[in-house]
Amino acid sequence: MFHWLEKRPFFFAVAVFLTIAFAGLIEILPNFAQASRPTIGTAPYSTLELAGRHVYIKNSCNACHSQLIRPFKAETDRYGHYSLSGEYAYDRPFLWGSKRTGPDLMRVGNYRTTDWHENHMYDPAGVVPGSIMPAYKWMFTNIADVDTAYAEQLTIESVFNVPYNKPIPMKDGSTSTVALADSLEGAHASALEEAKLVAEDMKNQDVKDAVANGQIPEIVALIAYMNSLK
Amino acid sequence: MENRPLEYDYSVAKLFMFTTIVLGIVGMLIGVILAFQLAFPSINLLLGEGLAEYTNFSRLRPLHTDAVIFGFTLSGVFATWYYIGQRVLKVSMAESGFLMFIGKLHFWLYVVGVAAVVVSLFMGITTSKEYAEFEWPIDIAIVIVWVLWGISVFGLIGIRRERSLYISIWYYIATFLGIAMLYLFNNMEVPTYFASGGIGAWYHSVSMYSGTNDALVQWWYGHNAVAFGFTVPIVAMIYYFLPKESGQAVYSYKLSLLSFWGLMFVYLWAGGHHLLFSTVPDWMQTMGSVFSVILILPSWGSAINMLLTMKGEWQQVASSPLIKFMVLASTFYMFSTLEGPIQAIKSVNALAHFTDWIVGHVHDGVLGWVGFMIMAALFHMAPRVFKRELYSKALMTTQFWIQTLGVVLYFTSMWIAGITQGMMWRAHDEFGNLAYSFIDTVTVLHPYYTIRAVGGLLYLIGFFMFAYNIYKTMSARPVEENELQSATPMAA
Amino acid sequence: MDIADIQAYAYFFFTGFLVLVLYGYIYHLYSSERKGERDYEKYGDIALNDEVTDKPVETISEKEIEKKEA
Repeated sequence: MFHWLEKRPFFFAVAVFLTIAFAGLIEILPNFAQASRPTIGTAPYSTLELAGRHVYIKNSCNACHSQLIRPFKAETDRYGHYSLSGEYAYDRPFLWGSKRTGPDLMRVGNYRTTDWHENHMYDPAGVVPGSIMPAYKWMFTNIADVDTAYAEQLTIESVFNVPYNKPIPMKDGSTSTVALADSLEGAHASALEEAKLVAEDMKNQDVKDAVANGQIPEIVALIAYMNSLK
Repeated sequence: MENRPLEYDYSVAKLFMFTTIVLGIVGMLIGVILAFQLAFPSINLLLGEGLAEYTNFSRLRPLHTDAVIFGFTLSGVFATWYYIGQRVLKVSMAESGFLMFIGKLHFWLYVVGVAAVVVSLFMGITTSKEYAEFEWPIDIAIVIVWVLWGISVFGLIGIRRERSLYISIWYYIATFLGIAMLYLFNNMEVPTYFASGGIGAWYHSVSMYSGTNDALVQWWYGHNAVAFGFTVPIVAMIYYFLPKESGQAVYSYKLSLLSFWGLMFVYLWAGGHHLLFSTVPDWMQTMGSVFSVILILPSWGSAINMLLTMKGEWQQVASSPLIKFMVLASTFYMFSTLEGPIQAIKSVNALAHFTDWIVGHVHDGVLGWVGFMIMAALFHMAPRVFKRELYSKALMTTQFWIQTLGVVLYFTSMWIAGITQGMMWRAHDEFGNLAYSFIDTVTVLHPYYTIRAVGGLLYLIGFFMFAYNIYKTMSARPVEENELQSATPMAA
Repeated sequence: MDIADIQAYAYFFFTGFLVLVLYGYIYHLYSSERKGERDYEKYGDIALNDEVTDKPVETISEKEIEKKEA
């Protein structure tokens, strides 16, 4: 029987494939539905937040920052409540990271402000002496890609039934809604509304001017995203 | 034509040898730059403020990992396949115009894919998933390249003269199947441009899986991309090159067969160890730990088999630098397959995860095992492919010691850095408050980051010596007339 | 029986099955060598005698002979 297999490359390949596919089938498939159920209080990203998330990904922030708080005292002391599976329900892709060259960012919105991020992204070592994080000055001039963020929102709403424009249960028993515009112009308008709120707390005059002129620099979108991480 | 004796045709192997060297230099050079950036952040502005976006750590980091994995290593795998494949199947690619065409197409599409990857990663077009950063158009190109390689593998097997498949061929087949399955499932994504009716960037896509599921699939992929990229095909190489170079048949062929099936079964289960203490189900995390420890057995089965192949022939280690490379590679393989399972034990992982110890582990595997083995393979192939004696034995020996020193500096500094940082993160003072702020745990690493960067630089210097040696072999040595049997001829 | 149970059973039995197959394989390797049916160690020579002019350790044409016998 064994020798029969060794002589036949095709059946040999089938046997190898079954052996290696087995683990994936058993491990991953059965838990799919359960692991993707959101926790109470977890809402999908708004257009601007999603655009900010794209900025985060574009610059591989996840190469140095994790978004996963493990259930140890040292971690919950430092970063807040440990992560729950359902909190990631709307994260496509996940951004857990694999290396903490810098601190975890899972709940950074709880303890950092717009103002802090603005100064830190422009000159990290000026805010945190000894920091080895590079500056991200180009984010103050590059314009965020709202179109792609909106396209992604439309996609996940239609393909994965992400509940935009629907009531989402919150922890205090109330409900809240994340609006999704019905046109690209609408998406730009609502993103700009949100951007104005962020820009109010910022100091950089060029960024403020850009937002006043209807443009959204990457930094504004990124800060909106960081502030949403709670 | 009719009267010429049949010879193996290495034209495709040669092309891939070329990309192995070029992309090896690219990947390692970027790696050294990254290492120095962590020690001295001002290097992020390497080419000035204007280009900071493209020379900054976070943009370069995926380029480094992908250039080494999909550039250097994969080219090495292809180069050795187009060499070993013909030889152990005893069939020449010259016998099939079709396979020759597929082989060349395979190479050129691969080059196009690599170029697209480099450009897109510099632009920041990435899906963020480690070792699967490419957006959907490149994914499709990669699948085509992979299918072409599959046609090459099975096509050559189809016209073989040797009835039994040598153990190396088993490992190449497993590489092909493993990566194909993993890559396809991990890169399931929906292009947003088409799903939204033509809005936004055309190349953008969104993952089919979300959150915890996405993480699970990604690390099932990430871990096994290491298995089927950095372990399985490299074992295929050493099972051919070490016996051939030393003139000793594999110590126990039966053990090699057993290790193969053991590795196939166990490796896939171990992926869960990347997600210990995360939000994936507990039993899966435990499975990941347990199987990671069991994984020592098949890994050591292969490594010990290699060392025993040298039984009674240890004088060759002293006399031949090529054997040195391979023996050190299998030693590092044993070392990192022991270190990995240790890190997968839950209590150790609690300390090691997210620290530089993991980075150290990856690099003693890749620099010590993968890098040394691929360079040894190319050293063995060069005289046979170019029909010339190797340019310089002294240069090889020097390179060996420089690179060994580099690897040792690398992993020792990363051990200390990782354990130091892990301990500082969890330290509490007498009142139960955290003893250190995060930045304290970063500044303390500066000396280790510097040592690591020097270690990496030494390895890169050694790689340049390797490239020079191969280049001179191609161009400066007289053509070899003798039939080459086992040991590779080298000039002093 | 929910999906988690099926998962656990599938895991348990398939793992057991593969362990049995692996031990069966070890037995097969050694017994066939002892009985003189097949010497697996000779395949190690495939790597050593790999010139295109070398005689294969087992030629492909034996397959036809085996087919006729079967």
